[in-house]
Amino acid sequence: MARSIGLIVNPVAGMGGSVGLKGTDGAMYHKALELGAEPVTPARTGDFLAHIQHIEDVSLLVAPGKMGAWHMDGSAIRFEIIGETGQATSAQDTKRLAGEMLDRGIDLLIFVGGDGTARDICDAVDQRLPVVGVPAGVKVFSSVFAVSPRAAAEMVDAFVEGTRVTEQEVLDIDEAAFREDRLASRLYGYLLVPEVRRFLQAGKAASNISKSATQSKQEIAAYVVEEMDPGTLYLLGPGTTLRSITDKMALTKTLLGVDAVHAGYTVGRDVNEGDMLSLFERYRRREIIVTPIGGNGFILGRGSKQFTPEVLRRVGSDKVRVVATCAKVSQLECLRVDTGDAALDDMFRGYIEVTVGYREKMLMEVRC
Amino acid sequence: MNEMPYPPASHVIDAAQQGLAWMNRYTDPEPGEALRGLLAGYCGVPRQQLVLSPGSDVLLREVIHSFSHGRKVITASPSFFPTVQTARQFAPESLSIRLSPPDFDLNLELLLGVLDSPSLLIIDNPNNPTGAMLLDQHTVSAILEQSETLLVIDEAYYEFSGLTFAAMVPDHARLLVIRTMDKAFSLAGARIGYGVAGEAFLDDLSLFGAFLPQASLRAALAALEQPGYMRENVRRVVEERRQVGQALARLGVRVYPSCTNFLLVRTEAADLAARLSEAGVLVSEVSNQLPRGFLRITIGTPEENDTFVAALARELSDRSP
Repeated sequence: MARSIGLIVNPVAGMGGSVGLKGTDGAMYHKALELGAEPVTPARTGDFLAHIQHIEDVSLLVAPGKMGAWHMDGSAIRFEIIGETGQATSAQDTKRLAGEMLDRGIDLLIFVGGDGTARDICDAVDQRLPVVGVPAGVKVFSSVFAVSPRAAAEMVDAFVEGTRVTEQEVLDIDEAAFREDRLASRLYGYLLVPEVRRFLQAGKAASNISKSATQSKQEIAAYVVEEMDPGTLYLLGPGTTLRSITDKMALTKTLLGVDAVHAGYTVGRDVNEGDMLSLFERYRRREIIVTPIGGNGFILGRGSKQFTPEVLRRVGSDKVRVVATCAKVSQLECLRVDTGDAALDDMFRGYIEVTVGYREKMLMEVRC
Repeated sequence: MNEMPYPPASHVIDAAQQGLAWMNRYTDPEPGEALRGLLAGYCGVPRQQLVLSPGSDVLLREVIHSFSHGRKVITASPSFFPTVQTARQFAPESLSIRLSPPDFDLNLELLLGVLDSPSLLIIDNPNNPTGAMLLDQHTVSAILEQSETLLVIDEAYYEFSGLTFAAMVPDHARLLVIRTMDKAFSLAGARIGYGVAGEAFLDDLSLFGAFLPQASLRAALAALEQPGYMRENVRRVVEERRQVGQALARLGVRVYPSCTNFLLVRTEAADLAARLSEAGVLVSEVSNQLPRGFLRITIGTPEENDTFVAALARELSDRSP
């Protein structure tokens, strides 16, 4: 039976790039138009659709007009149009159409856009179904996106063939800061994405050990838990890698928050600075465990604001442990900190050990 | 795969064909011993320190299998990928040191700091895929002063870089230099790897290359007997590397300095490898070790390089606003 797949195109995504604007959020879309920006999503969507191999095995449920149906000209894939939009489209259209597609029972949702679109999709469907992000925006830092439209088509094919799904980050990029060449981002949430195993160098490299993200996180978790000291308070930052640690301990984890663990028990959920400082009255030995944000490598100061300068000073820079899968660190040039306290940032400058597997570590540079 | 674009010399092909006539037999020790002698002379070391292997990657794997117990395996990241894979898969404990752009250099102070316990340090020099030299004489000497460290230097691209530490092996028991005839000698399909091994390695590796095929052994012997053909090909590749690098820079592509037969480049076009593949040009997307946008380009013949540069120019111009 054909898999039912939704398609939503953000028609204004990427238009800022060709006219030197770094995004089309809010009023910037109108400025892009004034500057003569041309739509970029038709080519990206067309490229994506043209490279899906399993065209007989899928049936698309597409948004109307420029948010979907217009891009189906020339495609051999069966499709049906769902919902309505006006002449001008908005984030609300994206969210509403995604909700309607979800109600129609689609198996997979494809969206074409940038980080802003990913946030809208995250709001609308959360982790209720897997998605594929086709990159077309100016800001495409979230790891939910495929590397290219063709790679997105591969992900769809892998999904049709029956691959597992994995959680990937959605980032909230501060567009105003981005226009000033500052990358200010925070972790916004997670979406489920079909996992395409990267077959590492074929041929001569006979030992092909491509591991799934899930396997890698389980290995990291096994090592971290094995090394845990029952007398130490562990503050576990946001993210799925950290959640794999609590999974290993048979505990539940606040995905986007900080949880406190001691002697195998959760002693604080979604804690803030005040909670942590209170816990410090009871627990003298403390350790923070964090994972970098994909794409920009921030380990502190973005995505985990709960770790304030006061908390970090009380724990100590040598008691911050970083964990990340090899797949994630391979995409980072370095790690970064931006706590808002320059003197504290300097304490992290240099190299730090990152646990990337079971008894497997990487030394990475931390830049401020 | 960074192969030499030029085929073996005709006399090398003839020698390999003669070896094929012996395919019904297991390897005769005599040509293997002859090859050890020639390679020892080529490296300027005593013959007893020369070990053969069916490919240098196989020798690297064997070293990790044999010497990682009780030692931390330390590599650079990125590195020759089969080494990384083997260390991840088989070493009881591993540590990699991330090389960061734009320089991709190895921090010696940091490195010496992690050699405080028994270690097996494996460094490819020049590095693959960056093409950069990571080690110099001072660095190697400083590492070898660490009494609990075994140092393995992968010199697969020695003929292109011109820098080797093989001559240090006779005086340093804990040094192993690994090389290959795959690249410069146009013998990638023959799988002739070899090592110049210090005393600490010799017992475990001395019989390792005993079963190399006759055709490969005879091809290698013939190639070594007349190394001028190899040297001329290396010169051509190095000259082409320079020209390709200049052409890419003119296209606005970031090109990193290389001491090998390939170039590491960086572009904003993340899906370039797939597009070039459709144009019939294969380049290596090294995203399993470096961020998206890095590509490793093997230097080919002048005609192949022209085809590549033209295809790249088309792809990049198609992307211009």
